[in-house]
Amino acid sequence: METNYDAIVVGTGISGGWAAKELCEKGLKTLVLERGPMVKHVEDYPTMNNDPWDYKTGDVITQETKKTQGKQSRTGYTTTESNKHFFVDDVKHPYNETNRFDWMRGYHVGGRSLMWGRQSYRLTDFDFTANLQDGIAVDWPIRYKDLAPWYNHVEEFIGVSGENVGLPQFPDGNYLKAMEMNCVEDVLKSSMSEKYDDRILTMGRTAHITEGSKPGLGRSNCQYRNRCMRGCPFGAYFSSNSSTLPTAEATGNMTLRANSVVHEVIYDADTKRATGVRVIDAETKEVYEFNAKVIFLCASAIPTTSILMQSKSERFPNGMGNDSGELGHNIMDHHLGVGASGRFEGFEDKYYTGRRPNGVYIPRFRNIGGNTNRKDFTRGYGYQGGASRGNWSDSIAEMAYGAAFKEAVTTPGDWRMGLGGFGEILPYHDNKMTLDYENLDQWGLPTVTFDATIKENELNMRKDMQQQAAEMLENAGFKDVRGYDGDYAIGLGIHEMGSARMGRDRKTSVLNANNQLHDVPNVYVTDGAAMTSAGNVNPSLTYMALTARAANHAVEELKKMNI
Amino acid sequence: MDRRKALRNIGSGIGAIAITPTVVSLFQSCQTAVTYTPVFIPAEDFGIVSNLMELIIPKTDIPGAIELKLPEFADAYIDAVWDKERQDNFVDAWKAFKEAGTSAAGKTNASELSGTDWDAQLAKYLKPGNDVPAGEEDAAKFAGQLRNLTVNAFKTNEFIGENVLAYAPVPGQQKGCVDLMETTGGKAWSL
Repeated sequence: METNYDAIVVGTGISGGWAAKELCEKGLKTLVLERGPMVKHVEDYPTMNNDPWDYKTGDVITQETKKTQGKQSRTGYTTTESNKHFFVDDVKHPYNETNRFDWMRGYHVGGRSLMWGRQSYRLTDFDFTANLQDGIAVDWPIRYKDLAPWYNHVEEFIGVSGENVGLPQFPDGNYLKAMEMNCVEDVLKSSMSEKYDDRILTMGRTAHITEGSKPGLGRSNCQYRNRCMRGCPFGAYFSSNSSTLPTAEATGNMTLRANSVVHEVIYDADTKRATGVRVIDAETKEVYEFNAKVIFLCASAIPTTSILMQSKSERFPNGMGNDSGELGHNIMDHHLGVGASGRFEGFEDKYYTGRRPNGVYIPRFRNIGGNTNRKDFTRGYGYQGGASRGNWSDSIAEMAYGAAFKEAVTTPGDWRMGLGGFGEILPYHDNKMTLDYENLDQWGLPTVTFDATIKENELNMRKDMQQQAAEMLENAGFKDVRGYDGDYAIGLGIHEMGSARMGRDRKTSVLNANNQLHDVPNVYVTDGAAMTSAGNVNPSLTYMALTARAANHAVEELKKMNI
Repeated sequence: MDRRKALRNIGSGIGAIAITPTVVSLFQSCQTAVTYTPVFIPAEDFGIVSNLMELIIPKTDIPGAIELKLPEFADAYIDAVWDKERQDNFVDAWKAFKEAGTSAAGKTNASELSGTDWDAQLAKYLKPGNDVPAGEEDAAKFAGQLRNLTVNAFKTNEFIGENVLAYAPVPGQQKGCVDLMETTGGKAWSL
């Protein structure tokens, strides 16, 4: 069995797939290790065409499911019958909560790139300079101009549908044709452009092909089935499985080994370099070592940091690269579950075709200078939302039951629209993960203990998020507008990040401006662990861009023999 | 034409829904050829619950609840999906509904109630504009829950989803603002 490679990539999700593609395309013989089982594009999407009536009690979360996926079910939607197989068994993959932490995972080839929400936005200099300006945590060691060409690079390859609006807090990009708003969303858009000069409504930017095709395993146009999380037979949305992994494989330079649990990076104190990784086979429990000149940790934030923490040596008694003591700290997410909804009277003779796998979006309008700056909270939030014709309407209620009621039930209900906020969580040192060596998993590895909560800045922000959503809907003429602020705990945004942050100073950060460990330059971390602040936008596009940029850097460094 | 007005004109102006001979006969013989053993609803109540669901979604030119096997679906659904607390509350509400109905009809046993009696109960709790009599809040809750269960079962039904509602498993395109009648003939999408 071959054990020596030019590069090792740990993980095959959003960032791992990109590391594999970039490194293989640049000629490196790359071993890609995934802890979970193989999932082949289309072949291994068993539920992709199922209708709700293909399930005994519909496509819902059952009590039976909650027995093994109790924590995964906290989202209320990810563990329905058609999706649950792509989320982990909580009994097999336990973790500990000092404070409630909702940790949603997909352990298989493709990771969460198979089930993600596909919303794709860029960070901006409002985000990159935020810590510096607020005197919070540490400054990002990069700025927007460093990442902009890489955002272009990844958007071009994967295909992102959306529109350019020319706002500094919502940068223009390479977008495929935007999806259409429906009649009621158009009403809100017009109302906002009339009544507000500081915010707009636009279409969501989503990693779907809406024209042409993109590279991979035959990726073609979205068919508007909105069954994305199950895997798409058209490859219409971006996943590692349909896009980056096949591209890596086509180079002939990739070796993909599934069922491989990486638990340690091996360090050579003489060369001051990592030399490889230790692996436990997920099924047989046999142990292996693989060697490489460069290692990319892309296992997703928490597992990547776990691997670094487990990589102890005389030089690194507290985990590899942890001289700063920041490893495991500064965990963030986006807080959500707050906003408003209302009913719209009108357009009873209008409808829509296609199940749009995307919503509308309101870019950040708070704390971006001048009058937008608030005293009650720093940072910002955006909204995702949409209008639809639901099940119930006043006329149905009047029919009560019987033949006329039955007839009414077969017609579209009232128009309702909702706006749900996604808010930035500050990097708090105290929001952390540790490893519990008293509670080991079935591979003999320590389980993760989370201790992280949102605090005053987030709570104050949530009040504004709810109030503003309600106000915008009311101003547009929606009726029965109701705000909501639901049950949020860190992790529920499924954007858990931080724990091995980038920074300028090795005394206060884990990674440098190139995503290398400050102290072990041939180890790169390019998944969510790297994030120095969370911004308020969905982070996956940023992970892709960071990964492509870092892979480019790694290859250059190898050529120069710096690593 | 205003859709609301059009719908309002159907079946208006009466306290309870028009009692057809079919409805009356529903409850007269509890021989719903029981080949189904319920998993949640008590066996002795399954016939009554099925008939109540048939009152909610009766046979028209489209099959009704019993023909579509909506009671079987609802039974399995409650068992598989609801947690214990919700299930227990449902059982309590059902008992309250039975008691209120039995009392209102001046009978001693729920099995003695006629189709008209049960229909009057549904009307009392579901028709808007009626105040729920004091002490009958749980019974009213049951009526609302049963209606929700029936509608959910109806919309998750394969025959309805593919033949009655507008069915488009692979829409192919997305258009935001289209004419309802032209697009689906006035029907809701099933998916």
